[in-house]
Amino acid sequence: MRRAAALALLLALGPRPAGALSQADTDKIVRTVDERQRNSGDYKALAYMEAKEKDKNDVVYELVVYRRDQDQKLMFLFLEPKSEQGKGYLRIDKNLWFYDPSVGRWERRTERERIGGTDTRRGDLDESRLAEEYVASWEADEKLGRYDVHRLLLKARPDVDVAFPVIRLWVDQATFNVLKRQEMALSGRLMRTSYYPRWKKIHSESKKGDVWFPEEMRFYDEIEKANQTLILIKSVDLRTLDANLFTKAWLESKSR
Amino acid sequence: MIGTDLQIAARSLAKHTKRNLLLGAAIASVTALLVVLGGLAAGIKAAMLESATTLMTGHVNVGGFYKVTSGTAAPLVGEADRVMAEVRRSVPELDYLTARGRGWAKAVAEIGSMDLVLAGLDIRNETGFRRVVQPVAGKLDDLAQPGAILIFEDQAKRLGAHVGDALTLSAPTARGMSNTADVKVAVVARSVGLLSSFTAFLEAETLRQLYQLKPGTTGAVHVYLEDPKAAGAVAARLRGALADAGWRVMEADPRPYWEKLMAKVNNEDWTGQKLDVTTWEDEVSFMSWILTAVQWLSGILISILLVIVVVGIMNTLAIAIRERTREIGTLRAIGMQRRKVLWLFLLEAGLLGLAGTLAGAAAGVAIAAGLDAAHIAVPESVQMFLLQRQLTLVVRPATVAAYVAGIAAATTLAAVYPAWHAAKLRPITAMHHVG
Repeated sequence: MRRAAALALLLALGPRPAGALSQADTDKIVRTVDERQRNSGDYKALAYMEAKEKDKNDVVYELVVYRRDQDQKLMFLFLEPKSEQGKGYLRIDKNLWFYDPSVGRWERRTERERIGGTDTRRGDLDESRLAEEYVASWEADEKLGRYDVHRLLLKARPDVDVAFPVIRLWVDQATFNVLKRQEMALSGRLMRTSYYPRWKKIHSESKKGDVWFPEEMRFYDEIEKANQTLILIKSVDLRTLDANLFTKAWLESKSR
Repeated sequence: MIGTDLQIAARSLAKHTKRNLLLGAAIASVTALLVVLGGLAAGIKAAMLESATTLMTGHVNVGGFYKVTSGTAAPLVGEADRVMAEVRRSVPELDYLTARGRGWAKAVAEIGSMDLVLAGLDIRNETGFRRVVQPVAGKLDDLAQPGAILIFEDQAKRLGAHVGDALTLSAPTARGMSNTADVKVAVVARSVGLLSSFTAFLEAETLRQLYQLKPGTTGAVHVYLEDPKAAGAVAARLRGALADAGWRVMEADPRPYWEKLMAKVNNEDWTGQKLDVTTWEDEVSFMSWILTAVQWLSGILISILLVIVVVGIMNTLAIAIRERTREIGTLRAIGMQRRKVLWLFLLEAGLLGLAGTLAGAAAGVAIAAGLDAAHIAVPESVQMFLLQRQLTLVVRPATVAAYVAGIAAATTLAAVYPAWHAAKLRPITAMHHVG
């Protein structure tokens, strides 16, 4: 028994595998991933969301994403299809509200809500806060296709509410863009695999630097294998938005 | 005296056999129809009570919501043992009680997937469950095994799953984190209407693990009473008792828990635990429209038929009075009072109404009993609404007696105007009447 404990301690304190990243380097990578996508100001983008589900017709949504990263404000306004026109999500403080103009009512939803019933989560369109929400550990440096990547395992920090308690990231060693992401359930079961094949940058006045964003995101449901969602981010605009934009009244006015 | 009056009324009725038989048959048909439709509505209500109180609710429920943040609510009751102790103390009418987990999840099988409302149960404590849920495959006792799930025939068909097959349940925990549970289909049960189309039963501990619940936390305490009619009074009493014992208790709201979860609780600015006491009728209120619709349809149909019968009676009596004008004149001339003439005509109508309704009630009871005994299979598309696989009619003597009294009274009242018209005839005019 004592020998087994000593062996475990030795393994824990023992040398890292050759080429392994230190915890400080790992944390730095995650911070860099966040930092490259951080804007610090306002953000507006047109997004196309195509959802494919087994035994259902494909649905294409068009929505505008508004963000004010300084105070974590977020709003989605659906433009298409016609049945979804005027619907929207608004985050005020820590609350995510959903508005349906057909009933003229606001409903408070969980932040882990599936947006429009698709496999997309609020976090997919929000500012990246990986370092704030997760503790990362290095798993391996490997090849993903023709890219050299760091493979990291991120576990949710205690008392932080996130949709997925464990995620695995493949981060491009050259650019620090996330190329692949796997999200696991509490049971350890793989829930969703995401790919980010195209990244783009845009200059931000508020940041005084470049802001990177994934122009294309592909989400594959690993529980219901036939379900997948494609998101295309278009027309990113980092100019300052109206001060009164992130209000229920503004979102309601869009459907009148 | 009344015997003589009855004899006169009966003879008058017998004198015009054909006309009165037709009218009596119409009254009998309306009564029979009312008895059959009433039996159907009562059958639906009885089926609703039985299946609902087995599948998703007790006669009274102590449920509740726990909110980690104002926007994240889950249907949970903490310290279930304390709640159960309070229920035992406050409800002398108690038959038995059970703790049921509540939740929903996406069930994914090899072939298909669907959203399921989950109930976590300990089959050993479910006294009434075996009476209603009939396994088509598998044994109910196997539901005590960890990771076991009971699904209904329709769900099995949709998922393409059989006993022994694996399902993956995917659901967010109370804190909103994604979680999954791999479960095995232990039982496929016969569908029991609308409720069984979306409800599945999971071994209690497996449900607890899926939602990451603490020991002692459950979804609701189902309270079964010796007399379900006492549910409203017991619920009101429990609300007070639980509040006095220190729990925060929600105001009475006659909506099912899931409707409150989606439309009410998440919009309210509070966190922590609140208890919600409901009756079985509250929990199935989303289906009460079915019963209301059947009752409204019956009501409209019966009203139309009743109007036709009333017009028929008025018309028949008007003809009878016209035919018997000289007779009325003679009776009045030999000293019969107006009140007596009125009474005799009302008695005639009353007698006709009573005979018709009694015959109709007898026919209605026989038809309802025949339909019930025939175990007629309800088409699948209608099963959802009638909450029955086989047509079930419940006829209660008190209800039939009320129908008989009501229709007989209506037919008698319909005779008031023609009878009054007959009574007010002047003897001399009546005796001179030709025709």
